[in-house]
Amino acid sequence: MKKTLLLALVAIIGLVANAQGRSALKINEVMVSNNSSIVDEYGDHNAWIELFNSAYGPLEISSVYLTTDPNQPKMYPVPLGDVNTKIPKRQHVIFWADNQPDKGTFHTTLQLVPGQDNWIGIYDANGITLIDEVVVPASLTDDQTWARKTDGKTIVDANGNDISWEVRDNGAKADGTPSYITPSSNNIIKDGNHKVQYFHERDKNGFALTVMAMCIVFSALLVLCICFMIISKIFAKVVLSRKLRAHGLDPIADTDAAEHDSGEEIAAIAMALAEHLDAHDTESTVLTINKVKRAYSPWSSKIYSLRELPRR
Amino acid sequence: MSEFFMNNLTEFWHLTGFYNATWQHLVMLAVGLFFIYLAIKKNFEPMLLVPIGFGILIGNIPFNAEAGLEIGIYEEGSVLNILYNGVSAGWYPPLIFLGIGAMTDFSALIANPKLMLIGAAAQFGIFGAYMVSLLLGFMPDQAGAIAIIGGADGPTAIFLSSKLAPNLMGAIAVSAYSYMALVPVIQPPIMRLFTTKKERVIKMKPARAVSQSEKIIFPIVGMLLTCFVVPSGLPLLGMLFFGNLLRECGVCTRLAKTASNALTDIVTILLGMTVGASTQASSFLTKETIFIFFLGFMAFIIASTSGVLFVKLFNLFLPKSKKINPLIGNAGVSAVPMSARISNNLGLEYDPGNYLLMHAMGPNVAGVIGSAVAAGVLLGFLA
Repeated sequence: MKKTLLLALVAIIGLVANAQGRSALKINEVMVSNNSSIVDEYGDHNAWIELFNSAYGPLEISSVYLTTDPNQPKMYPVPLGDVNTKIPKRQHVIFWADNQPDKGTFHTTLQLVPGQDNWIGIYDANGITLIDEVVVPASLTDDQTWARKTDGKTIVDANGNDISWEVRDNGAKADGTPSYITPSSNNIIKDGNHKVQYFHERDKNGFALTVMAMCIVFSALLVLCICFMIISKIFAKVVLSRKLRAHGLDPIADTDAAEHDSGEEIAAIAMALAEHLDAHDTESTVLTINKVKRAYSPWSSKIYSLRELPRR
Repeated sequence: MSEFFMNNLTEFWHLTGFYNATWQHLVMLAVGLFFIYLAIKKNFEPMLLVPIGFGILIGNIPFNAEAGLEIGIYEEGSVLNILYNGVSAGWYPPLIFLGIGAMTDFSALIANPKLMLIGAAAQFGIFGAYMVSLLLGFMPDQAGAIAIIGGADGPTAIFLSSKLAPNLMGAIAVSAYSYMALVPVIQPPIMRLFTTKKERVIKMKPARAVSQSEKIIFPIVGMLLTCFVVPSGLPLLGMLFFGNLLRECGVCTRLAKTASNALTDIVTILLGMTVGASTQASSFLTKETIFIFFLGFMAFIIASTSGVLFVKLFNLFLPKSKKINPLIGNAGVSAVPMSARISNNLGLEYDPGNYLLMHAMGPNVAGVIGSAVAAGVLLGFLA
């Protein structure tokens, strides 16, 4: 039974891990009509589809399907056995939609038609699970691309509309920023660490970061502190209750009784009993409490702190 | 024939260390020897300073890099480069944290959870040094990497600097470990300066006995809470608490023993040696390194001071019977267990019956958690 459960658990984890991995594959940029943009290794201008691995680990995409027809999900299977189908983390590959699969792994049976909406989908190896899809609008003209604003990211506005995509033509956007076509590279070109620049400009003396960071450090440890104060109180009650039960007392009625069994009181009672019963051996009958100075103490002993491992 | 001999011998001479040596190499070799001297003769953190010191010697043997021998630590594919990968990719520090977790008994902290706040207060050393680093002209990411020296935690310093400022990592690591070794020299004057004689003899109540169940719950709850607050600290905090769970659960004794002994020893050897070897003269002997050593020293002073002062402040709100001895405030800087031992030694100096070790272990291990959280915060803000 245990083995069956274990196998089932491993299988579920494997399935989940696989699903998570494939879902990181995204259609990132598409050019439907390529007149003077990039050329393939044969020197031809063809329509292209850029895929992006949005995960932070490499992604093997062989055996997934590319298609332009939802009724024909297995239109172009990405072939097995090509090392180039393993996309490094946060990197891109380009597939040519030239209907010439005999030219190599990245030349597909797909064809994109200018002047009409083009649906493109990626299906997982089972040909059923849709990993990603996009509709490239008919309005796209020659040498323009339909690209995600941020690589691999889906952006939704306040009304729930998908605003992830935009037209790019190597010109300028409405806000004046460049609108680069970026085959095989990031759609957002990073020229430095923006967080560092932001802190450099806005927090020159580091005071704001210091305040924020100290608050976070204190909060983290304060939460832990409060949590363990509560836990220790609960455990103290449990221990007390067990102790009372062990002595045959009612844990609810006799809560106070246990509070008096401190070491000092027990010692005093023991001494009084010994005195009363006269249970001494032949002794001087003089009781002296001396403070003993010694170098050794369990408080400074390593065996009670760092190195002792509990055993069951 | 003689020409053949001469040509080959000349070529060989050009490959030797004697031919390629510069004064910078000699300075670094002297630094390495000094570290080894401190470790062996003075017994300053020998398990760290011997590997680092010898690593400095290895990393600063002059050779002709253009000969393509693939022996240097920065030459891809060389043996040293493969070993150095654990530092540059940042996977040695979490393994060390696994070992620290498996070695550490958090009982003192669980018994007296308020001591965790001392561990938090001492992290001010990190951020104080961050502000001064910015003043000296470092960019925020570099300043963050340098400032983490104040956490007095070598693995954390290496982990963070490998992410934020890989080019400064060698200097930061050597600085962090040097000051950790010098904790017995740096901290006592600060502790004396900021405490009165009356405060130094405060006797704290022995901590209550902590049940095994509490010890098992601690790493699980600790990991969940701290990592939910600072997910960027996950590699360090996750491994720290995982190691502690191995230790406390009682059913993984073999794993706990391996993590706390063999594994930690192996990683310490590799980490120390490769960090030492990464301090090559050309990149180490710079103005920035001097600044880093200065900032590291300052960070240690600020951290120790803020820990002690925080306890004094905390005492204002505590009843007389529950006052905390401010001599344990310095232990908040991490540097386990050296700073806790210093608290204990100083306490005994003023009252031979006042053992503070177990009390100081509370803020000490809280300092480990605190510095990992602080590293996570810096990583989140600046990476």
